[in-house]
Amino acid sequence: MSIKNEVKRNYGPALKLAIISMILCGLVFPLAVTGFAQVLLRDQANGSVAHLSGNNGRAVGSYLIAQNFSQPFFFHSRNVTLSASGVDPDITVEDALFQTQRISLVTNITQSELYSLVSQNVERTLRVFGDPYVNVVRMNLALIQAYQSIYQKLDPALFSQ
Amino acid sequence: MTSKPARQTSARFRSNLTSTKTLLDSLVRLNPVSLLANPVMFIVELTFFIVTAMSIYPPAFYPVANSSMRIYYVEVALIVLLTVWFSTLADALAETQAKNTASSLRSLESEVQSKKIVTEADLRRIVTTPSTALRKGDLILLEKNDVVPIDAEVLEGIGMVDESLLTGESTPVRKAPGDEVIGGSKVISDTLTARVTVNPEDTYISEMIRLVESSKRPRTPNEVAVTSVLIGLTAIFTIIVVALLGLSITLDLAVDLSVLIALYVCLLPTTIGALLPSIGLSGVSRLYRRKIVAKSGRAVERAGDTDVIILDKTGTITVGNRQAVEFIPVNSHTEKEVGEAAFLSSWHDDTPEGRSLIRLAYEDGFVPRELNALGVSEVYEFSASTRTSGVKISQGTGFMLPKGDKSGRERGRLRRKFEAHQEAGSAIAEDETEIIKGAPDAIKKIARSIPSNFDALVDRISSQGDTPLAVTRNREVIGVIRLKDVLKPGIREKILSVKVMGIRPVMLTGDQPLTAKSIASEVGIDEFRPEAKPEDKYDIVTKEQAETRVVAMIGDGTNDAPALAVADVGLAMNSGTQAAKEAANMVDLESNPAKIIEVVMLGKQLLMTRGAVTTFSIANDVAKYFAIVPVMFASTLPELKALNILGLGLNTAVLSALIFNAIIIPLLIPLALRGIRFKPTSTMALFIKNALIYGVGGIIVPFIGIKVIDIALLSIGG
Amino acid sequence: MIQPGDFLTLLLILSTAIILGRLLAPHITSVFTSAPSRIDRVLSPIENRIYRLLDVDPTRGMGWREYFLSAMIVNIFQMSLAFTIFVFQNILPLNPQGFPGLNLDLAFMQVISFATNTNLQHYNGEGCTNPPNCYPVSSMLGLSYLSQMTAVQFLQFTSAATGLCVAVAMVRGFISRSQNLGNFYTDFVRSLTRLFFPLCFVAALIFVGLGVPQTIGGYQTVQTVEGTTQTILVGPVASLVSIMQIGTNGGGYYGANSAYPFQNPNPASDIFQILLMLLIPTSLCFVFGQLLGKRREARPIIIGAYALFAIDLLLAFIPRYALGQGIEVRFGGFFSTLWTVVTTAVTTGSVNASLAGMHPLVILSAFMGMLIQSTPGGKGVGLMYMVMYIIITVFIVGLMSGRTPEYLGMKINARDVKIVMVAFLIHPIIILIPTVLAYATGAASAIGVSTSSTGFTRIFYEFTSAASNSGSDFLGTAGNTPFFNISTALVMLIGRFAPIGLLLALAGSMINRKRSTEIGLRTDSITFTIVLVGSILLLVVLTFFPFLALGPVLEFFQKRVNGF
Repeated sequence: MSIKNEVKRNYGPALKLAIISMILCGLVFPLAVTGFAQVLLRDQANGSVAHLSGNNGRAVGSYLIAQNFSQPFFFHSRNVTLSASGVDPDITVEDALFQTQRISLVTNITQSELYSLVSQNVERTLRVFGDPYVNVVRMNLALIQAYQSIYQKLDPALFSQ
Repeated sequence: MTSKPARQTSARFRSNLTSTKTLLDSLVRLNPVSLLANPVMFIVELTFFIVTAMSIYPPAFYPVANSSMRIYYVEVALIVLLTVWFSTLADALAETQAKNTASSLRSLESEVQSKKIVTEADLRRIVTTPSTALRKGDLILLEKNDVVPIDAEVLEGIGMVDESLLTGESTPVRKAPGDEVIGGSKVISDTLTARVTVNPEDTYISEMIRLVESSKRPRTPNEVAVTSVLIGLTAIFTIIVVALLGLSITLDLAVDLSVLIALYVCLLPTTIGALLPSIGLSGVSRLYRRKIVAKSGRAVERAGDTDVIILDKTGTITVGNRQAVEFIPVNSHTEKEVGEAAFLSSWHDDTPEGRSLIRLAYEDGFVPRELNALGVSEVYEFSASTRTSGVKISQGTGFMLPKGDKSGRERGRLRRKFEAHQEAGSAIAEDETEIIKGAPDAIKKIARSIPSNFDALVDRISSQGDTPLAVTRNREVIGVIRLKDVLKPGIREKILSVKVMGIRPVMLTGDQPLTAKSIASEVGIDEFRPEAKPEDKYDIVTKEQAETRVVAMIGDGTNDAPALAVADVGLAMNSGTQAAKEAANMVDLESNPAKIIEVVMLGKQLLMTRGAVTTFSIANDVAKYFAIVPVMFASTLPELKALNILGLGLNTAVLSALIFNAIIIPLLIPLALRGIRFKPTSTMALFIKNALIYGVGGIIVPFIGIKVIDIALLSIGG
Repeated sequence: MIQPGDFLTLLLILSTAIILGRLLAPHITSVFTSAPSRIDRVLSPIENRIYRLLDVDPTRGMGWREYFLSAMIVNIFQMSLAFTIFVFQNILPLNPQGFPGLNLDLAFMQVISFATNTNLQHYNGEGCTNPPNCYPVSSMLGLSYLSQMTAVQFLQFTSAATGLCVAVAMVRGFISRSQNLGNFYTDFVRSLTRLFFPLCFVAALIFVGLGVPQTIGGYQTVQTVEGTTQTILVGPVASLVSIMQIGTNGGGYYGANSAYPFQNPNPASDIFQILLMLLIPTSLCFVFGQLLGKRREARPIIIGAYALFAIDLLLAFIPRYALGQGIEVRFGGFFSTLWTVVTTAVTTGSVNASLAGMHPLVILSAFMGMLIQSTPGGKGVGLMYMVMYIIITVFIVGLMSGRTPEYLGMKINARDVKIVMVAFLIHPIIILIPTVLAYATGAASAIGVSTSSTGFTRIFYEFTSAASNSGSDFLGTAGNTPFFNISTALVMLIGRFAPIGLLLALAGSMINRKRSTEIGLRTDSITFTIVLVGSILLLVVLTFFPFLALGPVLEFFQKRVNGF
């Protein structure tokens, strides 16, 4: 069969296949996943939003996305220009422990208390999953949660919105 | 393969080297037009012209050339030219070698004097003419005892022609007007006039000469494929060098064009590019040197792929003639009786078999009294249908003839066919003795009674791989003669080497199964076809081919022609019929069927040599990179000097690599012409060994070679 | 050097990938042999409905040319549809952020990039130029949800399916007694319904479970703990990540790709993505043997691929790795290096760290993966390249065994050699020529890329990535200029479809070719595998050595002098 005929007999089915595959791959599939995800895993599916003082508090961002912490009484995020994403939400455990010195100084919370708080919030599942690290948003929210009154005083605007 | 022919090769190689004609030829081949057939070397020569132009007028090549480097350009140009010349030298040497062997073969072809009939003014005259001077359409006269000089068609006369040399059929063939007579057969009675049907040069010899003229030599499929690889590599390296040139300019790397060209020439597969034609040509001439004429290079390559070799027992595995080794009497008869009977019955039998019977009887002292009566004996000649022969002697008559005087013997004797004798139902007179010997089953048909242990005896002989021949006196079985097949010297080793290489030998024989089996197992063949007729070969070949195997076989008779024609490798015997020779793709001028094994080995050697030099050539590039790249960017990117792991001189590294690249060609010419040596082992073992030598070796050798040349250059102050 | 604990992790990941690949292989084989299966009851009616809609006979076999043509035509239509979505996303629905349509040259380049399974991205899908606040969201170069789904994810599925189908079609040509290369429409539909949809669906939900968003509800704006305004860039990410890794596509939802926490939230998701990238390319090595009915012939491919992969890993783990610039804390030096090697070894091209911060030897290793393309390479095409290498090796080196080289019992003839040599030639041509042109035309300096070793590496890497349909890149949005958009688009097109066409032509000529039963050179032996690995390295290094020397190798030596 000549090339011409082969092209001729195939472009009808090809066009239809292109359209059908676009509907299946581009709409049906992602929307089906969205539907299941929104029903089964609502929190993660919507960006793991972090709330101040439990799920009832105001949304303050996402656990997975770094935000600027500049106040001395908070754990500071890594200088995000150092990371590849620019929104690296984590710091190393050493970094967290190092920062406890500063926080302790400002808040009068003892360093050993802060140490134990850090160790309670170290992210690590299995050895194969790499070195342990600390999520800054989670760490600071835990800090606020544990020392609510202190932080109320340090940052009155915190609970106002 | 063995060291002896190799020594001869290198001697020949040296003598060729000194031949001024070859040298001149190699210089003539430097002409770019004649290099077009070899793309790699053509491109190398182009780069020579570029560098030469650089040395003549550097400013034309600004910014990649520099006037202060003119001497260097001359040096590079000379080495590049030398590279091309080494390649043309290899071609010229291979062609000289091939032509020499081919012309020596030509003289081997036996020339027969023929009687050409010339008609002048209605007067017929006979002119003695060499067979090679005959033309198609010429008339020739064929008289008794003449050898037919060339294939011809009978026009006048009826006569008997002996074609046994060609067909193996010993019965003379009757030829009448319209019949074909075959060159090489012999007229044994009467006179014939015949017309020549072919020109002498239309035979395979002319094809053979064509094969060794490199300009006309058609490239084999495998050579075409290798050439594709070479062209592909050439294209890759062209892109690399052009890209480097572009980057050198745009990134201000200040790389000199001559260095880039040196890198280019070094990277190009010049070694295999230079030697590829000679490898193919010398493969063919290696065959010629063994007196085998190949009609195409393709057939030689195909031989390397052989999966199955079909071997005729007779002539290939055994010397072709059985020898009598034992007389075994039956019933109350004695060994002496059997020996004497055998002697008598064989007196008129001129075959090697018959002679061996007489020799054995004579050595054992069994010389019959009736010897003097043989002169007026009646001879029953052997015929294929009865498979017996014999003699009838009248007691007390006749006289003794001097042995060997055939004409005398023939005069007094009555030749008849045994069947005629049987039909006539002639009785045996009292004073007559009739001795008949023959195949046991044939004898059983004519014998009056069969001894009780006859069958067991016959089977025992057969199962030992020998041939039993029964002897009767006056239709009474008196004994059995044991005929032994004599193996060709060294055949067992040859068969073993074939099997080691993964090739299956299949033995074909007319013998009965027990005999066939015994011979086969004696030489180590697992597969055999007993009671096979020549026609069976065709079926065997096509059946193996249908199972996708590559089949090699030998043949000589007209019956073999169809099989020879379909076989992947068909080796015909020069003593064979024209039909067989035409159907085959190779002819052995010495008519030694065992050479089929050598043909297979040569085919393998050819492919191996080509693969080895290609691999070697490509593997060499690693070292050349390490020699050239570090110094190429030395002026602008000094950090890359860390890659100069050989520690070459900054000014000498490029030249060293270039010189190595050139010099490796003449160093490998002997290898190309001789073929790489190998011991028959399995395909995988050969592969591993060659991959180590030419692959790994190909990576290591240039590192050493370039370093040595560099040291030499530095020491002479380059 | 790699630390012992990390080494164990590495071994665990690789062996899991091989085991999973081996386990998946029979299923992939059954998809393409149309073997009866339990899921027929559910899927066959749907598939048959599609065949009826298409008006094709699913059992009609095609020759190589028709197979290739139909794949091409389908691809062209798919690209046209996606192109339309990209250009008109501003007026199409599901664009809550109101991103404008893409310029024509960028849209052209991007559809080719996705359709060729390359996934080079000269845009930032999330439209954020000021992390971490991303407020306000930039209106430039973002993709609407519709574009992410019906252009990006769509083409990621179809390019993966196309690659798989053509590879299987090639293998069909090698099967003895095969009559044709199969039917493209059937292969394409079945690969989606039976392989990619189920796998991706499960994977996508696992990703959501691990923290990857999946919503079309639009970006969320919040006040952070300290009171600044931040945009949370959510979208249908999990469904895209599943196909981009399973299909070895590599184009991320976000500009930072799998370094962005929403696309790759933790080490668990990181390992899961590594496994998904390796899954189908590894599995295909086994499928090759199963389809042929000669399982042993899968050995040189799987062992060869993983041996080359190991060499890449060795190279990358020579330098000490640490949490340096461009590396996310949750992955550290080890997972970032590992990812870089894996993603280029299977030509996925996704990243979980910035390439700019990588040690030159890691970059060299990434180059090796992309230049070889068969370690084990992108799904489908990696296998095709491996077959190409095998045929070149069998031919050149196999001659040394004293027989005409054969592969799978088929004698390699001059035409086959020509085809594979041309296929091999494509790479140097489409990588080196545009690299030179980028400098010669001033396009490189126009986007601030220098002529230093680092600058050269970036340009050389861009075209290597495009040619190998890998997609990891050094240029990012800087590459959004007409020169780079058009040149990379052409390079991707040729780099994808020319080898596919050539290898299908090769396979087509193998149909009805005599298959020898005698075995000369055993291509399923370890010896051959070693020779194969050696000759692949030799061929690739011979071709690209001077350019690697000017790029990462030079950078290595310079940094050794000046400090890393």
